[in-house]
Amino acid sequence: MNSMIYKKKSPLLIFLIPAFAFLLVFLYYPFFQNILNTFLQIGGLGRAPEGLNTPWYENYQRLVSDPYMRTALKNTLVLVLCTVIFQVGIALILALLVDTIRVGAEFFRTVYFFPIVISATALGLMFNLMFLYKGGMVNQLLLSLGRLPYEVKPSGKVIVQWLDWKDQAHFLFTMFLPVMWQYVGFYFVILVTGLNNIPEDVYEAAALDGADGWKRTRFITLPLLRNVLCTCLVLAITGALKVFDLPWVMFGAGMPENQGWLTGTYMYDQTFNKMNVDYGSTIAVLIVVLGVVLSNVANRIFRPSEDL
Amino acid sequence: MKKAFALLLALIMVLSLASLSFADSVTLNVVTSYGGDDGNRGNFEAAVKAYEESTGNKVNDGSATSNEEWKAKVLTDFETGSEPDVLFYFTNADAEPFISAGKVVSIDEIRAEYPDYATNMKSSMMAVAADGKQYSVPSSGYWENMFVNKAVLEDCGVAVPGPDYTWDQFLTDCATIKEAGYTPIACSLVEVPHYWFEFMVMNNGTVANHLDLPQSADDAVAAKWAAGLNDIKALYEAGYFPANTLTASDAETVELFNSGEAAFLIDGSWKVGYFTSNAADLNDFAIAFVPGKGERSASEAIGGISMGYFITRKAWDDPAKREAAVAFVSQLTSDEVLSTFVTTEVTALVNGASPAGLNALQESAAEANAKITAIAGAVQDRLTAEARGDLFANVQNVVTGKMTAEDAIASAIALN
Repeated sequence: MNSMIYKKKSPLLIFLIPAFAFLLVFLYYPFFQNILNTFLQIGGLGRAPEGLNTPWYENYQRLVSDPYMRTALKNTLVLVLCTVIFQVGIALILALLVDTIRVGAEFFRTVYFFPIVISATALGLMFNLMFLYKGGMVNQLLLSLGRLPYEVKPSGKVIVQWLDWKDQAHFLFTMFLPVMWQYVGFYFVILVTGLNNIPEDVYEAAALDGADGWKRTRFITLPLLRNVLCTCLVLAITGALKVFDLPWVMFGAGMPENQGWLTGTYMYDQTFNKMNVDYGSTIAVLIVVLGVVLSNVANRIFRPSEDL
Repeated sequence: MKKAFALLLALIMVLSLASLSFADSVTLNVVTSYGGDDGNRGNFEAAVKAYEESTGNKVNDGSATSNEEWKAKVLTDFETGSEPDVLFYFTNADAEPFISAGKVVSIDEIRAEYPDYATNMKSSMMAVAADGKQYSVPSSGYWENMFVNKAVLEDCGVAVPGPDYTWDQFLTDCATIKEAGYTPIACSLVEVPHYWFEFMVMNNGTVANHLDLPQSADDAVAAKWAAGLNDIKALYEAGYFPANTLTASDAETVELFNSGEAAFLIDGSWKVGYFTSNAADLNDFAIAFVPGKGERSASEAIGGISMGYFITRKAWDDPAKREAAVAFVSQLTSDEVLSTFVTTEVTALVNGASPAGLNALQESAAEANAKITAIAGAVQDRLTAEARGDLFANVQNVVTGKMTAEDAIASAIALN
């Protein structure tokens, strides 16, 4: 029976064609149409194009000279960097720590994974309240610790100089912290699973040779975890390029003073709010190119070892 | 056992299908701006409930707070064929894209089948589209004016502004209020700069020419707009807006005013309901007048009827939904229902509205409205969504000096 399946390939097509057709209609066709849209003049979603742009590559010229696009690109690349360092880094530390405890590991797995299942909109609203200017949780904490200056007027009125967590000096921290926090648990679970797959006898042999503590981590755990770590890094980089929902809920259109754009939020704003569909499509093309290039670079740098 | 279970399931399925086939109720998809913290949200919910109970129909309420994003979403829904059955929306240039695309039904066409449709409205006050036809049934009108926190003003020794309030008096009052440790003006310049824009433009022109649009970046109207934007910039530089006006939401700054931390707030009639629900003591608030400058008197304000109910072509062409949609609009624009929405606003009702039991703030609004000497619509309503979005997004650039007022206006004109 098995040999029949391998000899007769045609039944495979029955399973492959629907999936391929689905991809063709919902991925490849929109993708190539999107590229075409970048050369057309489209004044709203669903509206017919009003002809070619003049010159036809006008949107690509604008992409290069647009200062907000440069800001978006810079912020997105900083986000990618932060994701690699903090999201995967913290996840790795937590995974190593949880791996060493014997009681409560399940509890920590659940606790760290929990933020993933909360919707980004709810998280955005929650962090908005935490970083609220007047009376937000963080500012109240700082006030109670005496870290915020205040002035008492002759009338007895107390004027507190609240910290604006969304101003130009603080917005990157306020924007990136929830994003980091939300996905640490995701990489934590992947890494813990990787740690569980390391055979116990390797550790036992190392213990007999006198390796313990940091040496055990440095020379056994991390090398054997390399492939899983590589997968996490590639996922983190490509995931960071697509971040949209949390920053949009918290910062909307480029707050503060057009310094808070990400490639995702800028594309959304141009397409849905400014009705500039062709320019939005051009930004989408850039996001795709960026994703392909960065994930390839990440794959080359963090190439999984074939020895493991 | 298995056979019995299968029979039971089949029976349930047949009965479900039968109940669907014989059901008379229609589900209407309705989108309005009576969402979020709109002052009439409660009245709208009550009216919808009454409609559902009287007709047996269901309403899928897709209401949201009106802002530029909401307007863009509504237009996108029309363009992608996802429009609702009934829409409560702006009747000005904002509606032209779906009117010119033939996506909504004219009043005349509806009256050909339902002669009594919207006959309780004054025809002269119903919006006329670019093609000369009427499409929407107006709801209540609106006014925009200055809300004041009387408790703050009293604490600062500042009098409640009257209809002769001048710009110089206002600047002096702002300095006094700031010195006393309060925020003079509650406004999010990043989210709702349009309230101040309208009055500052009128302050540098007249009520008669308020609706003029600039044709070029260096004509007289553009100069008037630039002067208005520069007045906002001067207020920003003097520190009269909240310290976080460029990062705060409208809700945050309104709460600043509501909690007795700010003195002045320019907003619309829809905000009266918000304070009715949220103010600790309504007697702490009053409706006063936006300071006048040049030829404009403080007694001249922004107002009119800007929104109405549209029935979409999609609902009209659906035999099951046509009658339900007509009944919905008729019921929500009836004299009785509109009277629950109206406190101090103008209506197009032939018999007028008869609001009952005004509270302290509503009475204050009625008193202020009685002293209004002239009114003009909002000039922003004459701009396309793209031009308006661009202009208001650039207000933050103008006040921080990253862009000149003239450049912001030129950028908006190019998109209009």
